[in-house]
Amino acid sequence: MSPEHPRTDRSVSTRIGARDISRNYGLVQANNGVSFNVTPGQIHAVVGENGAGKSTLMRILQGLEKPDSGTVILNDDPVQLRDPQQAIRLGIGMVHQEFMLAPELTLLENLVLGDEPMRTIAGPIAIVDWKKALTEARALEKRAGVAIDWDRPTATAPVHIQQYVEILRLLRRGNDVLILDEPTAVLAPQQVSKLIALLKQLRDQGASIIFISHKLHEVVALADHVTIMRRGKAVASASVDELDIAAMTRHIMGDAPADPSEQARAAVVLPDARRILRVEGLCAVTLDRSQALDNISMDVFQGEIVGIAGVAGNGQEELMECLAGLRPMSSGSISLNGAELAGKENMDFRRAGIGYVSPDRAHEGLARLASIADNVMAGSQHAPAFLKGPFRNLPAVGRAARQRLADLDVRYGALSDPVSSLSGGNQQKLVFARERASKPQVLIVSQPTRGVDLNGIAAIHAILKRHCEGGGCVVLASEELDELIALCDRILVLSEGRMVGAVRNEDATPETIGKLMLASGDGLEIAHV
Amino acid sequence: MSDNAHTDAMPADGLAAMVRRGLDDSLRFVVPIAIAFAVGAVLLLAIGENPLETYGLMFSEAFSSQRRFAATLSAATPLLFTAVATAICFRTGVFNVGVDGAFILGGLAAATFGVMLPMSIGWWIIPLSILAAMLVAAFWLWIPGVLLARLDVDEVVSTLMLNFVALGIAGFLVNGVLLSETSGNNTTETIHSTAELSRLLPPSTLHSGFLLGLACVFAYALWSSWTPAGFEAKLVGLNKRFARAVGISIPSTIIVVMVISGLVAGLGGASHALGQVHKFSDGFSAGYGFTGMAVALLARNSALGIVFGAILFGALASAGTTIQLFSDIPLDIVNVIEGTVMIFAVVELGKLTLWRKGKRP
Repeated sequence: MSPEHPRTDRSVSTRIGARDISRNYGLVQANNGVSFNVTPGQIHAVVGENGAGKSTLMRILQGLEKPDSGTVILNDDPVQLRDPQQAIRLGIGMVHQEFMLAPELTLLENLVLGDEPMRTIAGPIAIVDWKKALTEARALEKRAGVAIDWDRPTATAPVHIQQYVEILRLLRRGNDVLILDEPTAVLAPQQVSKLIALLKQLRDQGASIIFISHKLHEVVALADHVTIMRRGKAVASASVDELDIAAMTRHIMGDAPADPSEQARAAVVLPDARRILRVEGLCAVTLDRSQALDNISMDVFQGEIVGIAGVAGNGQEELMECLAGLRPMSSGSISLNGAELAGKENMDFRRAGIGYVSPDRAHEGLARLASIADNVMAGSQHAPAFLKGPFRNLPAVGRAARQRLADLDVRYGALSDPVSSLSGGNQQKLVFARERASKPQVLIVSQPTRGVDLNGIAAIHAILKRHCEGGGCVVLASEELDELIALCDRILVLSEGRMVGAVRNEDATPETIGKLMLASGDGLEIAHV
Repeated sequence: MSDNAHTDAMPADGLAAMVRRGLDDSLRFVVPIAIAFAVGAVLLLAIGENPLETYGLMFSEAFSSQRRFAATLSAATPLLFTAVATAICFRTGVFNVGVDGAFILGGLAAATFGVMLPMSIGWWIIPLSILAAMLVAAFWLWIPGVLLARLDVDEVVSTLMLNFVALGIAGFLVNGVLLSETSGNNTTETIHSTAELSRLLPPSTLHSGFLLGLACVFAYALWSSWTPAGFEAKLVGLNKRFARAVGISIPSTIIVVMVISGLVAGLGGASHALGQVHKFSDGFSAGYGFTGMAVALLARNSALGIVFGAILFGALASAGTTIQLFSDIPLDIVNVIEGTVMIFAVVELGKLTLWRKGKRP
C-alpha cells in the first residue's frame, strides 16, 4: 500500500459525490443534473429502473466516462477523472457483476495479481514474496471477518468467496470507496446476509460504499442512505429511515400504475389436472465446467407454473437446457403428453410443443445484429403460412411480425431496426412473442426478468400467467426468489445438480427455500413440504 | 448494397431510414476503394509516375470502347462465381478460403470431360462437363464442411490447406495421365469445339459464361433473401447459439452452404475452362478464388455489390495488363490496390468514428 494513498479522512463531509452531472448520448439524456454525496463511513444505495442512469453515473465516478457538464467531488473538492487508473489511485474501486478473477489462478494469486509483493534476491532480480502475500491476505481476512482458503483454485471456489476476494483485493490496494454493482444477484439469502455483515464492518472502519441494487428490501437492510434515479435524474435522496419500500417504489416508478403481479398467485391447478411434462431420472454428464445433473424427476401439470430455485451454478441452467432439448442427457426420460423426447434434437422438442426463453438474452435469446423482424420470425421460416412455393412470402412475414409484436405490446421503431435498439424489457417481450407464436404447450423460461425494468417485469409476469390460464404450463428458473414465490405453484430446489426439495406456494418463504438451496444433496430425503 | 437483412425491409419502414442505410452501404463500398487508390497513388508517386494520369489511362483502358469493356467483363467473369461461392459461406459465418481449390478442380474436371467425351453426343457435352465440374468441386468443399460441422475442425486451416492439395492433384494429373501429347508441358488437350461456350462479342474473349455468372449472382440474391434456407444461413452467421435455440441445425446448414459454395465454384471453373481457355493447364486460376474473396468482402456479401466489385477488379486486371505493356508501370500496382481494398473492406468504419469521438475532449 503506497503511502500517498488518500487514507480515509473522517473530517471531510463528502468522500465521493457528484455535483450537477449531465451526460448525453445522442438524444438520450442518461444523466441530467445529478447530484449526490457519499460521506465517509456510509453505505449509499443507488436504485432505479434499468436505463434510469445508474450505470452512467457509476462509469463517470470511475473515470470511464466524462460528464458533459458538472463535476465529480472527491474529499470535498472537484476533481477531473481522466481515466479509470486515476480513479483507482484516488481510492475508487468497483466490484463488477461479473468478477474480474482469473479462474485458473488460486485465490491468493488473484488477490495480489497486478500488485504482487516482491522480494529482491540478488541485485535487480526480484521474485514474488508469497509468504508476505499470505500474511497480507490473512490480515485482510481478519479485518473483513470472513474465512477464506487462499490456496483454492478460483474456479472451484463458491461464488460468494470469489466475491469476498474481489472486495479484499480492492481493500488491499487502499481503495476505500467501493462501488458494488448488484452484488447479491448471484447469492443465496444466507450468503446475502453474510455479505451485508461484511459491508457493514467495512463501513464501520470508514469505507464509503456505493451499492447498486434492484432489491429494495436489501437496500433497507443494508444501506444508510438511498438515492433514487429516474430518467437520468436523482429524484430522491434520503436516509433509509425516512423512506419506506412503498415510498421508494413510488419514486422509482414515477406515475406508473402499481404492479398487480406482486400479489401472490393463487394456485390454479385442479387436483385432476392433466400431466403435461414428465421428467424421470434425468442425468446429464458434462464435458465443460457446467454442473452435472443427477437423477432429476419432476412432473408439470396443466395450468401450473413450476419454479426452479438454487444458488447460481447448481444445475438450474443445465436442467432448463435439457428440458429445451439443447443439452444432451446421458440417461432418464423427458416425455410430453406421454411422447418420449429423450435422445431427440432441439427442433423435435420445439415441434412437440416446448418453447424456450434463454437466460442469456444477448447471446442466445436474440441475434443482436439481426433485425427486429428476423428475431421475432426466426424458427417460423418453414411454416406454410409464410411460404409461397419454395420462397418466403415476405409481405406475410412482415404482417405476422407486426402482429406478434403488437400482441405482447412490444414498443419498436421499424421492423428492420436492429433488435439491439430495443430496451431490455421490450427485447424480452419480443423473445416471448417469438416463442409463443408456435403455440407451445410448455414454456421453459430461464431468468426472464434479468436486466428488465419494473414495468417490463410486470408485463412478463402477466404473459406467464396468461399462458397458464390458456391451458399451458411453465417451468420457471429465476434467481429472484420473490419472483418465484409470487408466480409459482410449486418451487423445486436444486443443489449440486440434485433436486433437494420441493415447496408448495403456500409454504414458500425466502427462508424455507434458502435453507434448501444451501443444503447439500448428500443423504437428504427429498423434502416434499 | 445491403445484405438481405435490408432487402427484407418491410414497406412500412421509414423511407428516411432506408435512404440512410443505402448511403451507409454505398460508403462502405466506396471508402475502401478510395483508400486503396490513395495508397496506390503514393506508390506511383514514389516511382515517379503521375497517379491521376495512370488512373485515367487505366479507366480508359478498361471502359472506353466496346472491345475494352468486353475485355473487362471477360476478366470479371470468373470473379462473379468465386465471389458468390465465397459470399455464401461468409454470410453463414463459415470462413471458407478454399474456393480457389474448388475452382481449379472444377476447371480440371470440365476440361477433361470436354476432351474425353465422344464428339458424337453433340451439345450434350457442355452440360455434362459442367455437371462433372460442379460435382467434383462440391465434393471437394463437402470435405471441410463435414470436418467443421462434425469434428469442429477449423475451416480456415482446412480449406486453405486443401487449396494446396487441389493444386498438387491438378499439377500431377496434367503432367501425367491428362498430359497433352501434342501441345507440350503441363496442359491437357484442347477441348472439342462443340464443348466451347459461345463467344458473345468476338473478337473479345467475352463468353456466355459471363451470363451464367450473372445468373449465379441472381440465384444467390434469391436464395439469400427469399428462401427459408437462406434465412437460416443468415441466422447461423449472425449468432450460432441463437440459431440453434430457435431450432436450426447448425451442422447441416454448414455442410449445405459448403456444398453449394462448391457447386458454384465448380461452375465457375467449368465456365473458365470451356469459355475462356478451352483446356486446363498449370496456372489455370490466377488467384480467382482470392480476388473473389476480396469482392465478397467489399460487397459485404450483397449480390449487387458482387456485380460491381467483380467488374471493378475485372477492370483493374484487364487495364493493368495493357498498361504494363505500354508504360513502365508494373502490374503489381493492381495487386497492391486489391490487397488494400481487402484490408479496408473489413474495417468497421463505424469504429473509426467512435475512436474519433473518444479522442475529443
